[in-house]
Amino acid sequence: MSAGGARALVVLAALAVLFAIPQFTSHEYVLALGVSFAMFSVLSGGLNLVYGYTGLLSFAQVGFFGIGGYAAALLVTELGWSLLTGAAAGGLLAAAVGLVIGYSSLRLSRHAFAIVSLSFALLCLIVARDWVSLTRGAMGIPGLPAPVLDLPGGTRWRIAQPADFYYLLFGFAVFAHAVIYLVVTSRLGRAMRAIKLNEPLAQSQGINPLAYKLLAIALSALLAGIVGGLFVFYLTIVDPSIFDFYYTETMLIMVIIGGPGSFWGVLLASAVLAALPDLLRFTTDLRMVLYGAVLIAAMLLFPSGVGGWLQQRRIARWRRPQPASQ
Amino acid sequence: MTATRPLLEVRGLSKHYFGLTAVDDLSFEVDAGAVVGLIGPNGSGKSTTIDCISGFQPSDAGTWRLEDLDLTGQPPHRIARAGLTRTFQTVRAYDDMTLLENLCVAVQESDTVGWLQALGRGPRLRRAEAAAEARGRDLLATVGLAEYAEAPAAILSYGQRKLLAIAASMMARPRLVVLDEPVAGVNPTMIRHIEQVIHKLNAEGVTLLIVEHNVDFIMSLCSRVIVLDAGRKIAEGPPGLIRSDARVLAAYLGKARAAELESGHG
Repeated sequence: MSAGGARALVVLAALAVLFAIPQFTSHEYVLALGVSFAMFSVLSGGLNLVYGYTGLLSFAQVGFFGIGGYAAALLVTELGWSLLTGAAAGGLLAAAVGLVIGYSSLRLSRHAFAIVSLSFALLCLIVARDWVSLTRGAMGIPGLPAPVLDLPGGTRWRIAQPADFYYLLFGFAVFAHAVIYLVVTSRLGRAMRAIKLNEPLAQSQGINPLAYKLLAIALSALLAGIVGGLFVFYLTIVDPSIFDFYYTETMLIMVIIGGPGSFWGVLLASAVLAALPDLLRFTTDLRMVLYGAVLIAAMLLFPSGVGGWLQQRRIARWRRPQPASQ
Repeated sequence: MTATRPLLEVRGLSKHYFGLTAVDDLSFEVDAGAVVGLIGPNGSGKSTTIDCISGFQPSDAGTWRLEDLDLTGQPPHRIARAGLTRTFQTVRAYDDMTLLENLCVAVQESDTVGWLQALGRGPRLRRAEAAAEARGRDLLATVGLAEYAEAPAAILSYGQRKLLAIAASMMARPRLVVLDEPVAGVNPTMIRHIEQVIHKLNAEGVTLLIVEHNVDFIMSLCSRVIVLDAGRKIAEGPPGLIRSDARVLAAYLGKARAAELESGHG
């Protein structure tokens, strides 16, 4: 109980600090890091739900992210929807697409899903580039307008300054992580872990793996789609580079270093590694190489991440006091 | 006199792998409250039989039902929810979960708490989880693992994992439990312990179908034994009769040795 209380205090303190940052600095670099952390933490949190908890290696997250971005941008600029409805529609579209690719490939195998998710991400890039009449091709949709939110109480919030986007993405990230936390700490999360740890055993206990896998995929796609829909208005442009493999690689590093299946580990890794793209900015050409090096080093030194290391310690603690009793 | 329907009724089960016949037109029954053994030499089709009736292998022909529920062709999770659970030859457990979690997860699909209720953590969920935890602790006490309730399953020895698997298969109060080689590779002390556990569970009303190579274990535990050879049922009856059945001896020892024994006795 006291450990839980201490954790709640740390979380509240961290939230307070993150909330206060724009009050102390309007430095764009700091706020950009904050936006990057909020965005990547939602993407890696979703990937953790699918890969870390349910055991499905997925490369599709970036596709859901971009679909959300394109859908929100088109709905807002072409049809005059508001930012929130546009982003929500983008998220729902991404979730629907996730259900389709999940349902069609998961009936074969886990590996089929991994391959299909990779093909899907590549296909998104091609569609964004070549379906010019919808996506305007390689030029993308530039000059996205600064969105306006009608807040309860009648005030209109024009989201134009970096600090506004910081709060928008920060707010959504808190909501997204609350949802993910609610799922993974519930018996739904327990069933997902059971499926990852031993699928036939789970089946023999009445658990329908397909239903839980689809739930994880749809939820992660929904959150990735919404965060994509919000993020493109911060960038003020959406073009095919939103499907870049760089996003996938960053998410994977965050989940693997944080520890697949560890909520706090992955969240912490997202915070630390969100700074990575900018720390490595001095060498754009070598960035991907360095990412690869970081990933390999992590796999060698921390094969199951920070979360996995903590779990190993938990098991070791039980093993020590009881000498073999067989 | 009205004939009561058997708990499990298998009719005409067949399974072929690429022209090789694993199970050939097999029919058998398990009565409620019984402990039935399914034995036979290696490759006689025991594992295939239980993989088929638990939904893990598609069958080529045949039907099976649990009382009035037709389970033919159903996926494993439906068969489990209908009340037929099983353990596995290669012992399966959720290594990263505690023993208690291992047991609670095994029962969560058999209560009526939906996904939204599970997320909402309302009184209904809390009651269901409290009941699961209480039953889990009971079963851990029954199999003798109570002191490890909060420990991760990864620390258990091989025999203890077999006990955990038996406990997990009982969690949802199934109508029939199929144990796949519950004592294979287990030391003699642990075998006696597992035997006592099964006796105790049967006394509480659990019906069991046990697949095993250890003939002594089967003979002392089962009220009825079914013997398979080359996918066919070659004998069925109480252990005493099975022990001296010529076809069974021939299947296990080879025809020549069986005849030798027979003449030696006669």
